[in-house]
Amino acid sequence: MLLITCPHCGPRDESEFSYGGARRIWPDHDANPDQTETAMLDWHQTLYLSPNPSGPLTEIWYHGGGCECWVEIIRNTKDHSISNRQKGRAS
Amino acid sequence: MSPMPDCRLPAGGLIDRNITLNFSFDGIAMQCYSGDTLASALLANGQHLVARSLKYHHPRGIVSAGLEEPSALVTVTDQYGSTPNLKVTEVVMRDGLTVTSQNNHPSLKRDYGRFLKLGGSALSAGFYYKTFLWPKQAWHKYFAPIIRNLAGQGRVDPTPDHAYYDKRRKFCDVLVIGSGPAGCAAALTAAQGGATTILIEQDHILGGSLLYTQDSIDGLNATDWAADTSEALHALSNVTVMTRTLAFGQYDHGLIQAIETGKDGDINRAIMWKIRARKIILATGAIERPVVFPGNDKPGIMLANAVCQYIRRFAVSPGTRAVVAVAAEEDRLRAIAAMQDAGIEIAAILSPGDQIISATGRLHVNAVTWKNDKGQRQRTKCDLVVMSAGWMPTAHIFAQMGEKLTFHAETQSFLPSLPEQSHHHIDPVGGARGVLHMDACLADGKASAHDAMADFNMHKHLDLPRPAVAPAPIQGFERGKGKAFIDFQNDVTTADIALAQREGYGHIELTKRYTTLGMGTDQGKTSWTNGLLEMLSISDMEAAEIGHTTYRPPYSPVSIGALVGTETGQQMTPIRHTPFHKGFADLGCVFQTSGDWLYSRYFPQPDETMAAAIKREALAVRNSLGCVDMSTLGKIDIYGADAMLFLSRLYCNDFSTLKTGKLRYVLMLREDGYVLDDGTISRLGEHHFHLTITTANAGKVWQYLKKAAMVDWPELDVTLTSVSDQWASLAIAGPYARDLLSALKPDFDVSPAGLPFASVRIGHLDGYPVRVFGVSFSGELSYEINIPSGYADALLSMVMEHGKAWNITPYGLETLDVLRIEKGHLSIGTEIDGRRTADDLGLGKMLSRKKDFVGRALSQRPAMIAGGRQQLIGLISEQDEPIPHAAHLSDTELDQNGCAESLGYLTASIYSPVMDHYIALGFLKNGRQRVGDTVWAHSPIAGQSIRLKVTSSCFYDPEGGRYRG
Repeated sequence: MLLITCPHCGPRDESEFSYGGARRIWPDHDANPDQTETAMLDWHQTLYLSPNPSGPLTEIWYHGGGCECWVEIIRNTKDHSISNRQKGRAS
Repeated sequence: MSPMPDCRLPAGGLIDRNITLNFSFDGIAMQCYSGDTLASALLANGQHLVARSLKYHHPRGIVSAGLEEPSALVTVTDQYGSTPNLKVTEVVMRDGLTVTSQNNHPSLKRDYGRFLKLGGSALSAGFYYKTFLWPKQAWHKYFAPIIRNLAGQGRVDPTPDHAYYDKRRKFCDVLVIGSGPAGCAAALTAAQGGATTILIEQDHILGGSLLYTQDSIDGLNATDWAADTSEALHALSNVTVMTRTLAFGQYDHGLIQAIETGKDGDINRAIMWKIRARKIILATGAIERPVVFPGNDKPGIMLANAVCQYIRRFAVSPGTRAVVAVAAEEDRLRAIAAMQDAGIEIAAILSPGDQIISATGRLHVNAVTWKNDKGQRQRTKCDLVVMSAGWMPTAHIFAQMGEKLTFHAETQSFLPSLPEQSHHHIDPVGGARGVLHMDACLADGKASAHDAMADFNMHKHLDLPRPAVAPAPIQGFERGKGKAFIDFQNDVTTADIALAQREGYGHIELTKRYTTLGMGTDQGKTSWTNGLLEMLSISDMEAAEIGHTTYRPPYSPVSIGALVGTETGQQMTPIRHTPFHKGFADLGCVFQTSGDWLYSRYFPQPDETMAAAIKREALAVRNSLGCVDMSTLGKIDIYGADAMLFLSRLYCNDFSTLKTGKLRYVLMLREDGYVLDDGTISRLGEHHFHLTITTANAGKVWQYLKKAAMVDWPELDVTLTSVSDQWASLAIAGPYARDLLSALKPDFDVSPAGLPFASVRIGHLDGYPVRVFGVSFSGELSYEINIPSGYADALLSMVMEHGKAWNITPYGLETLDVLRIEKGHLSIGTEIDGRRTADDLGLGKMLSRKKDFVGRALSQRPAMIAGGRQQLIGLISEQDEPIPHAAHLSDTELDQNGCAESLGYLTASIYSPVMDHYIALGFLKNGRQRVGDTVWAHSPIAGQSIRLKVTSSCFYDPEGGRYRG
C-alpha cells in the first residue's frame, strides 16, 4: 500500500486514490484534423502501447478520497519509491 | 474416567489464582487460572496429547509456547461460534471455552488413521503425484473420498458470524513490533527521545522472554523490570501500547497491518489496524530450533524455552522426569535450573555430539535411547524431553517486502541485513537479527531507536554500536535411523527431503512443494532451518545457493472477519437518497437500489400491481401530466474562457453555434472511438456551461473531465465544479407541462416562443431560484426544473399542488424506462455498453467532420466503419405476445441441437401501454437495412422462440411533434 504525496493534501494512503495509468501524451488534437493513417497509428501507439518499464514510470492518480484532483508522480516500479513530478493543478 | 493429574506448581507464575476459569477439552471439564493460555491450561490438567498429525495421524502434543507452535492445533468454540486450527499457545484463556481436538476418527486416543503408517511408503513425499495415477477412475471413486476424509485439520463453522469487526488506522514516528528486551528498550528510548511511538505485542502482557527468565536488569528481576517498563510506557503520552495485537504483514512505505483481538466485553471481536510508521523496529525475537531425531514428534517432547516458560510464567510442570537435549550450554543450564525449581527429576543430560537413537512411547514419550561420545548405548525412562538445536531469527516481516535473508554460517540461520539505505523503513533488532543475550538485546533496541532519531534529525540521539550476533552451538546432536520429523505440522521427515533431492526436486521452491515442507498454517516456523540444514547435508549446494522460499503475509493466520471489517450486508456501500426521497416516500413510492442510489421505482395505488401502476403512470404522462426525479444525473458547472474549446474537444458533435440560453444533446466517445456517454450541454453564459452526465457514469465521467482539464490540456482556462448534489432536479412531462409551469408563477416567459424546446432559463418559480431546462427523455413536452437541494420539498409540494388540475402522476424508474424505450432513447449499460460506435446506435451523423475530438482518430479504424456491424433497431411482436428478455436474434429456427446463428440480441423488451402492444430494442447485424423484415428471437432461458418484425428504433412519435409542444 503506497503512500502518495498529494500536492494539495499531503501524504495520503493509496486507498484514497484510484490509478490512472501511465501518463500519456496524446497526439496533438487540433493540428491534424484530417484522418490519415499516421494519425490513427499515433493514437494506437499512445492508447494501446503504454510504457511498462522496470524503473521510473510517470503515472497519474486520481485523489477521489481527497481533493478530487489528478496527481502526477514518478514511481519506480522496482522498489515503489515515489517522487512527485509537479504540483497538481486545481481545476 | 480417572481425575486428571494436577500439574500446577504450588506457587509462582504470572497467573491470577483468585480467578478460576472453566473450559472443556473433548468434553472433559477442566479448570485453569486467569493469565493462562490454552496451552498452559491443558498442561496444568496433564493433557499433553491434544492433536493427531495431518498425514500419519501420529499423536501430537504441545511443542512450543508461542506462535511457532506446529502441532497443537484445536477447534475453539465460544459465544461467536467455532474457530478451527487455533494454536493452543495463542489462545488466551477466558471462561467458558469449548475446545475440541481435530483430525481424529473416532477419538484422540484411538485413531484409525494411525494405520496409515502401515502403508508406509505410500505416503512419502510426492505420493499424490505417483500413487493415484492408475486405474483412471479410482481417484474420483475411491482414493479422493478417503483422503479428503482423513486429510485436513479443523472444519470451518458454516453458520454466520454475528460478531462485530472493525478496521482502523494509526500513524507514528516509530513502530516497535514485539516487547521483549529489545522491543521494550527501543520503545522506551524512542519515546523518551520525543518520537511518537507505538508498541505492538501479540501477547496480552508486555515482556516477551523477560516473563520467564531469572536474569536481572539494573539490579531488578527482569520480570519486574518488564512490569515497570510496561507501566512507564503506558504512562507516556506519546506512546500507544497495543497488546493482543499481531503484526502480520509489512507493505510499502512503512505500512504494517496488524490484528487486535478483543478482550471479553469488547464490542469488536477483532480490529484490523493499518499503521503507517516512519520507522519500524522489528523486535520479534527468535524461534528455537527443534532437534531432529527418530520419534521426535511424540507428546512430551518440547522446546527448551517452552519448558522454562510453562514453569516460570505459568507455574505448570510439563513432566516429572526429563531428558535434556539442548545444544547451547546457556540454554541447557537455564532449562535445568527451571526444572529443578519445579521439582522435575533430571534423568539424563545429553551432550552435543551424542547420537539420539530414538524416543519411544505410544501416546506419550516414555523413554529415550542414545549413544554417548564413547559409543555406549544408553536408555532411560522419562516423560519429558527438553530439546533445542539453537535459534532462528523471526525476520518474516522483514523479508515480506522481497528482501532476501542471507544464510549466516556462524549462526546457522538466515539473517536480515542491516539497513544501509535510507528508504528502508524497517530495522530488525535483538533476536530478529540473531542477537540473543538479554543485555545485547537491550543494547540493540536502544541503539536502533537512536538510529531512528538520527534519521528523523531529532536533536537527542547518540551513535551507539550495534551488538554482535550470537553464534550457533558449536556442535549439535547426531541421530539414529528412523522417522525423524522436520515439519511436525505437515509430517515431513528427513526421508522426504532426501527423496525430493534424489528425484530432482532439489530447488528449494520445488522441495517445498514436493514434500509440503513449510506449507502448513505455521508456514514452517520451526522447520525451515532444519529443512535447509538437511538439504545441505545431502546435496553439494552451498546454503547461499539454496536460499529460502518467499515470505508472504500473513505471518500467522488472521481472522478473516477482521479483514472484512464492517463492510458486510447493508454496510457494503453507503446508500444515497435524492433530495426528493422523503417527499416521494410520502407519496407512496416503492424504491429500488440503482448503483449507490435508492431510487423511486413506481408509485402503486392501494391494491395495484406493479404492471398496472406502470401502465397508469405511462398513460398519464402520454395523455396528461407526470413528474419524475432526475436528481441522480451528474451535473457539472463549467466556467472559463476556454470552456467552449474544452467541451468541443470532449464531445463528438458540433455545437459551436450554441447560443446562450440554449442546450444541445451531446455524445462523448472514449479515446478508442467507442461511445462513452451521452448528455446535454446548456450554455448559461458566454463562458459558462452546465453539463449533465448519465447517472451510472456520473463518477466516471467527472473523473475523466478532471483528467482532461488537469492532465491532458492544463493550458486551457477552464474550471470544473461538480454540482450534482447541489441541485435537485424534477422533470414535469406531458401535454400539460407548460400549463403547469405557468401555474408555478415563473418570473420568465414560458410561452412556446419564450421557452422553446432545447432551451434553458435561469429565474424563479414563486420566488424560488430555479434553472428550467426544456429537454425530454420521455418524448413528451417536458421541463427539468433544477432547484437548490434544500428547496426540493417546496418544489415537490408546489408541483403536486398545482398539478392536481391535470391529475399529475408521479412516476419512477420503471415508467421512465418504458417511455424511453417507446422513443428509442439510449440507456447507459444497456444500449451504450462500451462496445458500440456512434453509428451502431444510429448516431453516426453526430460525429463532426469540422473539428477534432477525443476518439475521432480511432473511431475511423477499419473494423469500426466496416459494414456488417450490429445496429440498433426496434422490434415488435408479430403475434402480439410478450417478448422474452435478452433473446438472441436469428434468421433461422433452432436446429435439432437447439442452435442457430446469432445476428444480434435484445437489450430491452416491454409492453407499451400507449401503443398497447409488445415492443423491444435490440442490435441486429445490418439492422437498419432490415426494417420490415421478420426475424426469429430465441431465448433458451425462457424456452421460447418467437417471430419479431424489425422496425425503426423510435416507436412513438418519430416526427417529434409532441416534445416540441
